[in-house]
Amino acid sequence: MRYVLSKIGLLLLTAWAAITVNFLLPRMMPGSPADAAIAKLSRNGTVSPATRAAIEAQLGVPGGSLWHQYVSYLDSIRRFDFGLSYTFFPQPVSELVTKALPYTVILVGTVTVLAFVLGTLIGIGAAWKRGTWMDSLPTLSGSFLSAFPYFWTGLLLLFFLGYQLRWFPTSGAYGARTLPGWNGAFVSDVLAHAVLPALTILITSLGGWILGMRNTMINTLGEDYVTFAEANGLRSRTVAIRYAARNAILPNLTGFGLALGGVVGGSLLVEQVFHYPGVGYLLYNAVVNQDYPLMQALFLMITISVLAANFVVDVLYGFLDPRTRR
Amino acid sequence: MSLLEVTDLSVVYEPKGAEPTYAVKDVSFALERGEFVGLVGESGSGKSTLGFAVTRLSKPPARISHGRIVVGGRDIAGLADEELRRQRQGGFAMVLQSGMNALNPVRTVRHHFFDIFAAHGHVDRRRREARARELVAKVELPDLVLDRYPGELSGGMRQRVSIALALSLEPQLMVFDEPTTALDVLVQHAVMRTIRDLQREEGFTALLISHDLGVVLESTSRVMVMHDGAIVEDGTSQQILHAPEHPYTQMLLSHYADPRAEVVELPGLAVRGGTISTASTRSDDAGQDGAVAPAARPSAVRAGAHRSAAREPVVVDHVSKVYPAPRRGQARVVAVDDVSFRLEPGQSMALVGQSGSGKSTIAKLVTGVERPTSGTVHVGDVRVDTLRRRGLRDLRRQVQMVFQDPYSALNPLHSVEYTLTRPVVNFSDLRGRDARRRVLDLLDLVGLSPVEQFAAKLPHQLSGGQRQRVVIARALACDPQVLIADEPVSMLDVSLRAGVLALLEDLRVQLGMSMLYITHDLLSARVVTDRIMVLHDGRVVEAGETAQVLRFPADPYTVALLDAVPQPGRAGDAA
Repeated sequence: MRYVLSKIGLLLLTAWAAITVNFLLPRMMPGSPADAAIAKLSRNGTVSPATRAAIEAQLGVPGGSLWHQYVSYLDSIRRFDFGLSYTFFPQPVSELVTKALPYTVILVGTVTVLAFVLGTLIGIGAAWKRGTWMDSLPTLSGSFLSAFPYFWTGLLLLFFLGYQLRWFPTSGAYGARTLPGWNGAFVSDVLAHAVLPALTILITSLGGWILGMRNTMINTLGEDYVTFAEANGLRSRTVAIRYAARNAILPNLTGFGLALGGVVGGSLLVEQVFHYPGVGYLLYNAVVNQDYPLMQALFLMITISVLAANFVVDVLYGFLDPRTRR
Repeated sequence: MSLLEVTDLSVVYEPKGAEPTYAVKDVSFALERGEFVGLVGESGSGKSTLGFAVTRLSKPPARISHGRIVVGGRDIAGLADEELRRQRQGGFAMVLQSGMNALNPVRTVRHHFFDIFAAHGHVDRRRREARARELVAKVELPDLVLDRYPGELSGGMRQRVSIALALSLEPQLMVFDEPTTALDVLVQHAVMRTIRDLQREEGFTALLISHDLGVVLESTSRVMVMHDGAIVEDGTSQQILHAPEHPYTQMLLSHYADPRAEVVELPGLAVRGGTISTASTRSDDAGQDGAVAPAARPSAVRAGAHRSAAREPVVVDHVSKVYPAPRRGQARVVAVDDVSFRLEPGQSMALVGQSGSGKSTIAKLVTGVERPTSGTVHVGDVRVDTLRRRGLRDLRRQVQMVFQDPYSALNPLHSVEYTLTRPVVNFSDLRGRDARRRVLDLLDLVGLSPVEQFAAKLPHQLSGGQRQRVVIARALACDPQVLIADEPVSMLDVSLRAGVLALLEDLRVQLGMSMLYITHDLLSARVVTDRIMVLHDGRVVEAGETAQVLRFPADPYTVALLDAVPQPGRAGDAA
């Protein structure tokens, strides 16, 4: 378990570094949100000192020594206090984030895991039956579909399944007539709204997983231990899963870790196309409206989640590959 | 009735978009129960293809095109997958060439055994642990390897585990495909002994596939010689040894000799200490890789004339190299431990020892790739161990290397001409047409003619021997004073080795270079070096004149190395 402990240590260290960089970067940049606002105002005439003071107070221009600011910054992170949003004033940033986060994590997270599992399984099958239609069909269609950009697939689905066939709702996370709450009507409504964005992400990311797994698996099938396992008369299922796939999946886990880390960053474009109120949508709004507190909180969130996902994959690696444990 | 009867077996390779080629052509033979038979041939002879076909492991693009493989009265040539799988238990097993990679890196050794027991159900569930212990004991390994992952075992241990796994099938026929090739000399020797003992005790029929006629003759009672997809000779080991009929067998045999003998002769190379024969006998081996003997041609002399007159010794003085511990809690690694020697101009010296003995580290120290932890290395007046960039570059002019693996020492994307032009341009003022002439001279020097044709070729169009000649030409491009040859022939077929060795020897004499010849192969050391140093765990255990040391070894380690040299003549012991 020394391996896991060392990985936890590494996680804490990198998280601390990320938080510190997140603190330092805006302070190293020239100008501030207050300067920008004042500059905008001054185009229409002179800005009185009183107005300037008011703007600075409102936007919270920090005072005190850098060290003092750092300590209070860490403290506010501990309290999950990221200030108030400009765009959705006076809602606190933390509230906005906690509201958006579940939608993204559940939608993008589930789909990412699903795409990985499904793609890996199909990739295993394709490699095992290489050269047959069970190989060429998923490989060809996979590379065809993953060549489409996210938003284009999204628009196509929206047009055909949403507007033409009217099978699924076309925007938002739930309909205007349902009230949020833990009841069947709401949950099924949320699920119905999630189908199109989920399908979009699934279709575009599945191909990559299929191809990745198929290619590493074909290499693994050429390894001596697979030939030797066959020479020893192991059942083909055992050879395919425990000998070939078990080893072939290892390099793909790294890619999976990156994809998991990207979940919180959300699928910005997909959420935009479907007006899905997740983190990506929130981030888009924050950028468009120069909402600095919101942006900073989201960036921190995204960084931490990438680190956490890498940690999970590292630990998983430790369990799956004895060579990393030493 | 014979255990294995192969009739008119042909195996064809059908790569996509290329002409099919037959690797095994209408081969017929039979193995009797309890027989230990060798199958010998060089690379490309089809011996491994035959071994894979006999155990029904051929994979696309290889395919058994026709023929019968009857094991214990049943034709397995056309058996369907599941039926074939069942036949493997109590039928035929295979031990693969690179035992290093034959085990699944993410499963413990115990799981490997249990997977086999589960697949065939021939061992009762409660008996499995005991049976696994019994099997590893048979290959002389302790119980605790069962808990290990393959990555935690040495190469020799892994190969022993593979043998135990194959044995767990309780096969009637065991095919060993180059079972010791990837292993260290002394380990090779020990594993071969285990295989012989097992065969005698368990009584299975064994087919030993090897490129090394010496190893095969030592172990088997009957030998089949394969060449170009056909079995060209099949006889008892004694017959093959004393009265080989086929010219190919005779050629293979001519490349064996006892390094301890008073007179050692290989085709094209004669005993050291006196004259070196550059006799015409070489032409047939050189012909093997399409090369012509380079001896005494005007161009060779011309190329040699570039060199500077003064030649200086390499002096290594009390050098040690210590690497930090690979992991915390482990001991640091002393790769070289207080080694001193002097390589005189024009002299050739052998550094011999197993892997890990420090011989390659010494090469790195002399070339300035690594710096010694203590001690000094001088090439002439230049102190190598303190050189920086510019100095190292100048050193390369004088000290050049020939690498072990000609397959990875050449960039596959560059033509021979490009590969040779680089050092010519880097290390001399020759440009354009002059540089090209120098490149062609170099090719001529290493016996690759017609030179224009070879210059235009890409590495994959060359045979192993030809590639190694290009590597040698590249090393000679800057006209070095010292050539360091790190196992230059160990990757080559026996019939090509003598040609490359003779070339190195000729060039050394013609160009007046000194050579540091690094090898584990004492026979080749005997024929191309004047002096020898035997290294063990980074220390010099014995040094002196090559013939003297090898004929009258004083250190037990040298004796062990000598004993590990395959001796066809010892065939009688096994029979």
